[in-house]
Amino acid sequence: MPTTGSRPVKLKLTDITKTYANGSHTIEALQPVSVEVLDGEFVVFFGPSGCGKSTLLNIIAGFETPTEGTVTLDNQTVKGPHHDRLMLFQEHGLFPWLNVIENVMYGLKRKFRFKPHARRGTARQFLQMVHLEQFEHTPIHALSGGMKQRVALARALAPDPKVLLVDEPFPALDALTRAKLYGDLQEIFMRTRKTIVLVTHDPREAACLGDRVLVFSGRPGKIKADIRIDLPRLREINDPAVGAYAATILSHLESPADAGA
Amino acid sequence: MQVPEQNIKYYVIGFYFLLIATWQVMFWASLVLDYLFPSPLQVATRLWELAADNYLWPSVKATFQRMGIGFSIAASVGLVIGLLMGTSRVVNSCLRSLFLGLQTLPSAAWVPVSLLLFGLSDKGIYFVIIMSSLPAVAIATSDGISHIPIIYLRVARTLGTPGWAMPTRVMLPAALPSIVTGLKLGWTLAWHGGVSAELIKSSIGLGYLLYMGRELNDASQVIGIMVLTILFGLLLDRFVFGLIQQRIRIRWGLAQQA
Repeated sequence: MPTTGSRPVKLKLTDITKTYANGSHTIEALQPVSVEVLDGEFVVFFGPSGCGKSTLLNIIAGFETPTEGTVTLDNQTVKGPHHDRLMLFQEHGLFPWLNVIENVMYGLKRKFRFKPHARRGTARQFLQMVHLEQFEHTPIHALSGGMKQRVALARALAPDPKVLLVDEPFPALDALTRAKLYGDLQEIFMRTRKTIVLVTHDPREAACLGDRVLVFSGRPGKIKADIRIDLPRLREINDPAVGAYAATILSHLESPADAGA
Repeated sequence: MQVPEQNIKYYVIGFYFLLIATWQVMFWASLVLDYLFPSPLQVATRLWELAADNYLWPSVKATFQRMGIGFSIAASVGLVIGLLMGTSRVVNSCLRSLFLGLQTLPSAAWVPVSLLLFGLSDKGIYFVIIMSSLPAVAIATSDGISHIPIIYLRVARTLGTPGWAMPTRVMLPAALPSIVTGLKLGWTLAWHGGVSAELIKSSIGLGYLLYMGRELNDASQVIGIMVLTILFGLLLDRFVFGLIQQRIRIRWGLAQQA
């Protein structure tokens, strides 16, 4: 495991809050949250639904603006959505009017403006990375759920974002497909050393994937614990060591003491 | 009784055969007056004569030409207006009620005003075709765009799609199932409007042949042209727009492959 000391901070959230106006009163979705994510670190936001973890991810992506606080990426303040922070969504969001490789090529238009050939070549590399190179010309509707999610992963990685944001990507999939995707995601993480922030409500998934797991409690959302997962990769979802960490993660959620506050 | 899917077509063929046979038998039994309501054979003969005398083909061609040009204009303008409605709340609020209102107007109701505006020229027919079909296309396009799953727009934005490219790269393709439904409906309305306008304003076309049939008290021609008009309308609806619609619905994951 690489240590934290030597690596620069990639993504920095400072005192982020989010309140929603609902008629006369306001709803506090996030209490001041500060997080530092290091370069090449895999950080998981874990918590029950409604704890604000997805809101925080949307704020990082630029889809929502924080009520207070700032997000910086490489010391630059983040404003609005940008291709340096790409999101892998729960509902894949692949374009049905394009086939598999055209979907992956879509985000490369900006980079290789007048070079369709270069676009295709790069897209192929990323399709190989998710083991779908023989499905280049398949229409999206003909893919299985797991394959769709892998195309979406290739599409998000192809433009070489600085941070990959992942929003509960695998809940609708069967156990076998999920186990395969956990492996793929870790392999890609190890190969590209990409900074990844993933949101989940599954403690086992959090323990299996993250270098660090931030435990959120609701509502309003705040961070209760910051747990380092010291296990070698590739980790198996059914590994007892992963299970032990999952139990630790859950215990922090259930303990009444507010570790962070 | 459960009829297997692949046998349904035999029932359909049988139904039409029975319909035409009943009509012919009623004629033979003198249940209808032949100068008021001709037999299928007479209708077919009359159509054959019209075709042999080279009346039919130029008229069919003229009608399709007008429909093609008029409907293309209506569809393109309708798409652009629909796009504006779908992306701007203000434009949508202003135009939606107007277009919904216009849509309730029967296509033929555009004929008098087109006579006033354009006299007996062909322009008036285009005007009727465009006014009949444009609102349907615009409304369907704007509905399609306002119902695009937000995820497509988010994905497109983060993947660096510039604002000016959103309509062509994302919005119109994403709204395509709804747009094709609008085009299908628009085509039917355009067909209504076009033939209605030809009844009064033209010296060639299916509508004109229909009108001439009445002038000459030729019931066979009237019925024959009506049948042709129905057939052409049906063929385009089923085999052009219907097939495109089905393919798109499957591709967009809205329908299962047959």
